[in-house]
Amino acid sequence: MHKINSPPSWGWQKPPTFLALFTLTLVAVLFLFILPALTQQPVVLTMLMQGQDIVNWKPFIQEFEQKNPDIRINLIEGPFDSNLVENLYTSAFLLGDSPYDIINMDIVWVPKFAAAGWVLDLTNKISPQQLSKFIKGNVEGGRYRGKLYRIPHASDAGMFYYRKDILEQAGIKPPQTFEEMFRISQKLQKQGKTTWGYLWQGKQYEGVSAMFVEVLAGFGGFWANPDTFEVGLDKPEAIKAVEFLKSTIASGISPAGVSTYGEEETRLLFQSGKSLFLRNWPYVWRLANTAGSKVKDKIAIAPMLSSVGKQGGSCLGGWGWGIAKTSKHPQQAWRAIQYLTSEETQRKFILETGLVPSYKSLFLDPKIVTQYPHYPQLLKVVEKSALRPAIAQYAQASDILQRYLSAAFTGKMTSEKAMTTAASETRNLLGSFKQAQ
Amino acid sequence: MKSDIMRQREQRTGWILVTPALIILLLVFAYPILRAFWLSLFTQNLGTELKLVFSGFANYHRMLGDGRFWQTLSNTTVFTVVSVVVELILGMGIALVLNQSFPGRGIVRTISLLPWALPTALMGVAWAWVFNDQYGVVNDFLIRLGLIQTSISWLGDPTLAMMAVITADVWKTTPFVSLLLLAGLQSIPADLYEAHAIDGASSWQSFRQVTLPLLMPQIVIALLFRFAQSFGIFDLIQVMTGGGPAGGTETVSIYIYSTVMRYLDFGYGAALVVCTFLLLVAAVAIAVYWLSRSRVNAAGGN
Repeated sequence: MHKINSPPSWGWQKPPTFLALFTLTLVAVLFLFILPALTQQPVVLTMLMQGQDIVNWKPFIQEFEQKNPDIRINLIEGPFDSNLVENLYTSAFLLGDSPYDIINMDIVWVPKFAAAGWVLDLTNKISPQQLSKFIKGNVEGGRYRGKLYRIPHASDAGMFYYRKDILEQAGIKPPQTFEEMFRISQKLQKQGKTTWGYLWQGKQYEGVSAMFVEVLAGFGGFWANPDTFEVGLDKPEAIKAVEFLKSTIASGISPAGVSTYGEEETRLLFQSGKSLFLRNWPYVWRLANTAGSKVKDKIAIAPMLSSVGKQGGSCLGGWGWGIAKTSKHPQQAWRAIQYLTSEETQRKFILETGLVPSYKSLFLDPKIVTQYPHYPQLLKVVEKSALRPAIAQYAQASDILQRYLSAAFTGKMTSEKAMTTAASETRNLLGSFKQAQ
Repeated sequence: MKSDIMRQREQRTGWILVTPALIILLLVFAYPILRAFWLSLFTQNLGTELKLVFSGFANYHRMLGDGRFWQTLSNTTVFTVVSVVVELILGMGIALVLNQSFPGRGIVRTISLLPWALPTALMGVAWAWVFNDQYGVVNDFLIRLGLIQTSISWLGDPTLAMMAVITADVWKTTPFVSLLLLAGLQSIPADLYEAHAIDGASSWQSFRQVTLPLLMPQIVIALLFRFAQSFGIFDLIQVMTGGGPAGGTETVSIYIYSTVMRYLDFGYGAALVVCTFLLLVAAVAIAVYWLSRSRVNAAGGN
């Protein structure tokens, strides 16, 4: 009997267990989903930045958080070397679930990140009107195949520095063409006014591609067309561009060492007062004008040179923000980008850091101009731009160009041979790309 | 007849026992390389937005016109040949010394093995500092000795940088070679030398006529190991020079790494892997052929 009675007793014990479970679930749901929504738990956005940039941006990010209590930004300090940061992004995206929401992109990463499908299309998020306030080349650098992926927050451009004291003393106007620059250098070198004429970066690294894009544009040539995949490296204009650079070494205007110099080597040589002209980036201005520099207050900048009758340009660099496709909070990320790339934020940022703005108006902003009087001139440099080709395999194409430019500069190959080989390898690279389309 | 059946059975049992090992080998070695070969027939890169598109042997065709691949291949060959030869000569010398009995031999043997035990990345960083142009020990020495006036940028010149990475590799792996050779030396019976000496042989003659032939198997094994390792060198060079300057120390492994990780050119990267793999297999096959010949020689000598 006892045994027969036991099942019912088990049966009426069940409801309380069930009830308890039900209540527990309800409470859990309340705690996990409903309560946070009611109390508005802030959304956390993750952002990776180069170590040296974090210091500059932190105050602005804190300001954004104060104004937007529903968003928190988790700033992750990356390595100082931009290549390493690119590797971090790449491995995070390749693994599929990237922890980063806001992506700080160098101009040359845009085609790669966009072609790989890692970043969101921002074309419809921003009005053409708002976009037109930025430097044109800088916006173009954020596009890949007609779509916009990046909002620029800083510009960078190749600049032509010259010694205004020496030129003024000799009664010579700053040059506008390569040919004039050549003549002026030779003349003043002969008079013993300067050791070297022109300094440029010829080392095998990304900087040589940037420098070459300018000379190429100055001679009316092109590297590669991102739409038709046509390669122009073996065209007569490109060979002339290499020949011109080689002739600066051969005629003693540039030291033979330029073929191994990067930005810093050329800056130090220029800063020690040894050269008349220098091609470099905007950062040189501040360093060359600090106490202890031999050329303090003796330098000026001009738009990038070109050959007679041609329209040259400066190679544009610069950084901007995009949103990761895997981000769970694209709306909040966009709000943060809007805030950080607003004109007011940028004005404060530029005044504090001395970096180069991406808004045209800020170059002429009275407050900024009083602090950095050379910015109106800088605007002219930045607006006349030459872009590196927006092809998805830019890094590969650039490595090919670097190898053969270096071979040509060091005399291992003739200019013609180097450029024909570079062109054929680039075609090979882009050809495999075209077939696959 | 009976022995035939026995042998058959034995063979069957042998196969059964070997099967698990074979399966594991297939999974671990054959599958990845076949997969790489399969992938190498496709184009999968940023141009195809990382989608797989069949392209036949286009990747191999591209390799033929790729100057960088041939340069890295020649860099790798130079690195491998020079470092292996130097390691073999030094390793032999050290092994001969350690084979003699002298007080404190155990301690010396242990100490001489230390470089081999260090993590490569760590010693790569240390050697990069040793060859640093501003603070490096090498430049400091040379300047103090009055051999040079201004410091040399060791890692800034392609040839010098190659010498620097070879030096670091030799320092690290010579102990490994000497350990292998030492084991071989100890297996040579002392009475052979005694008999040879009684016949009036000088020590140089006994080294050439007794030690070298009997040590051949160990020498070839050391060669084989070192060759395979050097050919795939990655960590040391990545840490010391990153393949620079101007690609002067870029090895095939580093190029493959860039192709896959920086350029995201997976199809082409796979083709590079397959090609390098085949070259390595060919080289090992030659070495194994030598090994078998030297075994025959050694057996004949006995």
